[in-house]
Formats: sequence, structure tokens, C-alpha cells
Amino acid sequence: MMDDRHVSLAHGNGGRFMREMIEEVFVSHLGDSALDVHLDAAPLTLPPDKVPCITTDAFTVQPLEFPGGDIGSLAVNGTVNDLAVSGAAPQALTLNAIIEEGLEMACLIRIVKSLAEAARIAGVHIVAGDTKVVPRGHGGGLYLATTGLGLRDATWRLGFDRIRGGDVLLVSGPIGDHGIAVMLAREAFDLSGPVRSDCAAVTPLALPLAKIDGVRFMRDPTRGGLATVAHEIAAATSLNVRLSETEIPVRDPVRSVCEMLGYDPYYLACEGRVVAIAAPDAADEVLKLWRSLPDGEGAARIGVLSQGAGHVVLETEIGGERLLEELEDDPLPRIC
Amino acid sequence: MTAPATDAKAWLERIRALPLKERVRVMNVCGGHERSISMAGLRGALPSEIELIPGPGCPVCVCPEEDVYAAIQLALRPDVILVAFGDMLRVPANVPKNEPRSLEQAKAAGGDVRPIASPQEAAKIAAAHPDRDVVFFAAGFETTTAPVAGLAAEGLPPNLSILLSGRLTWPAVAALLESEEAGFDALIAPGHVSAVMGPEEWRFVADDHNIPSAVAGFESDSLLAALYSVLRQHLEGRAFLDNCYATVARPGGNPTAQRVMNDTLDVVDANWRGIGVIPRSGFALKAELASFDANRRFELDADAFRKRAGEMPPGCDCARVVLGKIYPNQCVLYGKACTPRNPIGPCMVSDEGACRIWWSTGIRQGAAHSADEHAAARY
Repeated sequence: MMDDRHVSLAHGNGGRFMREMIEEVFVSHLGDSALDVHLDAAPLTLPPDKVPCITTDAFTVQPLEFPGGDIGSLAVNGTVNDLAVSGAAPQALTLNAIIEEGLEMACLIRIVKSLAEAARIAGVHIVAGDTKVVPRGHGGGLYLATTGLGLRDATWRLGFDRIRGGDVLLVSGPIGDHGIAVMLAREAFDLSGPVRSDCAAVTPLALPLAKIDGVRFMRDPTRGGLATVAHEIAAATSLNVRLSETEIPVRDPVRSVCEMLGYDPYYLACEGRVVAIAAPDAADEVLKLWRSLPDGEGAARIGVLSQGAGHVVLETEIGGERLLEELEDDPLPRIC
Repeated sequence: MTAPATDAKAWLERIRALPLKERVRVMNVCGGHERSISMAGLRGALPSEIELIPGPGCPVCVCPEEDVYAAIQLALRPDVILVAFGDMLRVPANVPKNEPRSLEQAKAAGGDVRPIASPQEAAKIAAAHPDRDVVFFAAGFETTTAPVAGLAAEGLPPNLSILLSGRLTWPAVAALLESEEAGFDALIAPGHVSAVMGPEEWRFVADDHNIPSAVAGFESDSLLAALYSVLRQHLEGRAFLDNCYATVARPGGNPTAQRVMNDTLDVVDANWRGIGVIPRSGFALKAELASFDANRRFELDADAFRKRAGEMPPGCDCARVVLGKIYPNQCVLYGKACTPRNPIGPCMVSDEGACRIWWSTGIRQGAAHSADEHAAARY
């Protein structure tokens, strides 16, 4: 007799079990009227005056659930955020779920519910999907992949090519929450702490910047964190990115864990923050706007672009400076 | 974080106001200090007369090659789980080509190697795998050895053994001071070591050698306060041990830690990688704990015929970096053959290693002698 509390290979065989899982787990909990599972392809109607933007991302986070989010909310917000920082309003997502045999059905349902809630908050529809089941030992419980379609105003131009020396770097909130929350959830190194992932859609932070002339570029500092975004900007523009240690917002518990393990918070992933570059006379307006929004209270001006050779320089608290290197390998816990 | 930064700026102003006429060489002997100094960009902010020299402060860097080799051989045994502090995983040993040359490579070759952050994790892993031998490769200074001793004092699980490579910091400084050229005019004494062993351990520096010294913590304000103290002592021709980390490094240190260390460990002559044997500078498990010594349990015999056993890799100047004889970027391999991605010497591996710290804070070119040149060598 089949154990109905866990996903089995039969849930991926194309037959009754698969249909039931799709209907009872995915369709019912996604509750999205735009999702028609009887179609092989979903037709989309696009307005002629907008630029359609498309992006895709895969999600393999461990553990699947962590304080502040789970792989489901991450799969929505990760893709939504790539669209949002490109200036595109997210419209539709496709969803691939690669499920490992043995995953608890209750866990899968929790994650799909969370995914649906994240999509609802982000105002995006799941319009197509697929599920596969892989044998035990071939996957980390659940992998998700989402492809997102968004619409950008044809007049809004963002890009590395718009960045100029003297421009100002801003971040919409404290950095490193997601990286530390997931690390603590792994229960590695016998550490625990009150850190929640910042996993959220950044659409409400990113899209209103369209109103502000002088916003040059946006990016969400996910893997590799703020330092990696700074390196991407420095490499693309050959300008120096000068960051100010005293201005970069880092929560105390995040800082404590970093100090204990010898991590640099500048390299830790965020999943609900925006880094923006704005012309000097537009920076205050961005800051004011962000600080008036629910997820933007912690927004800060954190650095400037200056003539140089494409280095990322951190100005330290005492007025010294050091280079932030490009991330090489995963940081290891230090010895004492 | 605001208050220490304000204090740090005030100390910096006091240091800048000192009438320094000539070069003063201030050595630190703690990787944590060197890291704080480099991360805060202190060198660039100080007057050019002040040289901050990283000295023997990295336990990973001085862990004998033979111990690393032994750990790798143990890790390759199918019956063994080898646990070690993360820093040790990438330290290379001298092995023939095609053999795993680090614990990380032993892991890739199928060995069960697990990084840990505290000795308690070693006991947990041993308890979770009663059918397997767990070997804890414990390299570290007094700060790390104390909790290892604590573990031994509580009673070790029968399947856990220890490959102990513990070292004492002060004997290395004493050896430097007794050598022909100590190479420094003042000492920043280690904060955590003093918290465990007591700051008094460092009195000999001033009392016997007339060298100004001060215990420091790890924030810029404490480090700069200690620096100000030793510079003033130097200018006034005085030498005593100041304590600028008094809230943590209390007189007498931590008596509990010292008791468990005395109960479980002997102080023995010990080999420092590339430097040689320093008298009474290492820890060994006491005779009654011999059955928990991985060297005995696995009858590890050093292979006397192994090529380059115990030697530094060719061209590697880690030993002189550790002793503060040269700066990291004065090694010919620095940043060329030896980078964090492909480390040749241990100083480029460990987060406590001066080479790794200098590289990761952006110092690239060679030969820095003064703070000015040091600044010029950056990017």
C-alpha cells in the first residue's frame, strides 16, 4: 500500500497519483485562476507599449524551511526581484518542482502554500508548471525553478552604461540577514540566534524609483552579497566603488555571528534588498522615498563611485581603508 | 559600534600628536589582532614612523607538517571520521604528486572530514557515530587548547581520540627576544591568550628585556590604546606591561581553564613548522590519557623516508613571516605562485595567517618597509 504521507516515485509517473498531486497539492494551494493545467502552453497578452523582460532562476536552498522564509517564497521572490531591479513589473511565473522521493507531503504542501502567498503578495500569477519526482538520494528534498515575465516602461533606462563617477550607492535595508538566517537554520557550528531571512519581493521598493530621474542602476545583492554587486559595478564601469563601513546597515545579531565565525557581512546574501545607484542630486530623493516604505526604514546611503581602476574600497570606521576582494571560496569558520 | 569608533578616533589623534622622530617597530602576536588591524585599515591611518609587524600569532601556520600529514593519512582510513577546525582543511603537506595534499583533498578523495567550530562538536559527532573512530585534529594556541582540555577533563567518548597540536604563545616571543635580533621595539600582547592564562605571563617582555608591552583586545579602540601606551613607554624610555583589555583579560586569567589544562596536559618541547623546536612551547596529553592520543591509538609512525617530511614547501617563506622577520608581501611567492586560491604555505590558508589577511584586505605588491611604502603598495 502506498504511503500517502510522503512523495513516492509514483507521483511522478504521469498517471493518477501525479494528477492527484498536481491537483491536490499544487492547483488547490496555488489557487491561481490564471493557471490552467489542461493546457500545454499558456497564452499571454502583452501591451504593445511595454518591453517584456524575462528571467529564470533555480532554487536549491538547504534547509527547505528557515526563519523568515522557505524555498517556496524564495523561488517566487528570487525571480520577481530580478525583474523588479531591471525596472520590470512582474506579471507571470512558470514553476518547475523537482521533488525527491520521500519528501513529506505535509512539507510540500506548506511550501506550495507559502509560494502561493508570496506570489499573491508580489502580484504575480503562476501560469504554467511541471513536476518531476527523482529517486531518493538524487535531490535535496525539493528543487524549484521559476521563470518570470515582467513588463518595463520603454522609457525607463537602467544599466551599467548610465553610471558616472560621483554617483551615489544606496541600499534599501540591513544586509546579510538571509545568509545568516539560513546558516543558523543549518544548526552548524552549534550557533543559534534571532535572525530572520529578509526574503521578500522588492517590487514596492524598486518600481517607484521610475519616478526619479537620475536613478542609474539597480541590483538585488543575493549570492555573494553587497561586495559582489560592488565588484560587478566596478568591473563594468572601471570606476572605484568606495563603500563607507559606518554607513552600511548590518543588524547586531548578524554582526555578532560574523565576528564569531570570521565572516565579512559584505559577502552575505540578501533576498529582499535593493542596491541602487543614483546621480548625486537624486540620492536624497531615493532615500526619502525608500524610508517612507514598509521595507525601506533601514535604507542608507553607503558609498560613492569614484575615478579609479575598478577596485572596491571600504573606508573603515577609523578613517583607514581596505580593499574588498572578489569572493573566492565559501568562508570557513576560523580557528579561534 | 559607534562608541568604540569614537574612542578609536580619539586614540588615533593622541598617537598622531606623539613626537615620534624615528621608526618604532611594534609586533603583534595574535592573528586576531593582525586581522583587526588590517580590516580597520590602521596602518594607513597611522604616522609613517610606526611599523606594525605581524608576529607569531597563527596556530595553523606553525602546526608541523608532520601533524598535517598524519591527519591526512587518518582521514583516508575508511573507519575514521576526522574533525578539525575549518582553517586546517586547506593546509598543504608535502606528498608525492597524485596523493591528497590537504584534508580538503582527502575529503574529495572519499575521506570523511568534517569542519567544526568548537571541541564540543567533536564529542557530539563521536556520540552520534559510536561504531566509528572519530579523530579530533586539534591545532591551536592556549585559547583553543583550553576547551580541548575541558573536553578531556569531562571524560572523552571511547571512540574519540585527539591529534593534539597545541602551542603556547609566549615561548615563541621569548625565543625571539633571546635571539640575536628580536626585530621589534614594542609588543602588543594577545588579548584572548591573556584572558585564559593571565596577563602576567607577558611581564617578562618588559621585566627581562626592557621592551614596552600592552595587552589589547580586538576592537580598534583597544588596539590603538595599547599602541599609544607602548609608544609612550618607548618615548619615555620606560617598559612595563600595560593592560588595555582589562575587562576581559583579568589578573590571573581563567583559573578553571588553567586547572583543566594542568589536569589533562603536560607542557613539552614542541616543533614549530619551519622554525624548529622551541622549549616548553607545546601541549601533550598526560600519560593517563595516552589511550586517547591519536598518535598512539593508530600507532602513527612518522615515515622518516617521506620526501621533504617536515619541510616548508620550496620557496615558501612562511617561517620568516611568522617570526616577523619579513612582511607577507616580501615573500617571493606572495600573490604570484601563492594565493588563497592556490596556497603554498600555511600563512596563505588560515584566516589567522598574515599572508591571507594581507591578501584579503587588498595588499598586492611586494616590499613594504614603512607605513608610507605600505600604503603605496596597496592597489
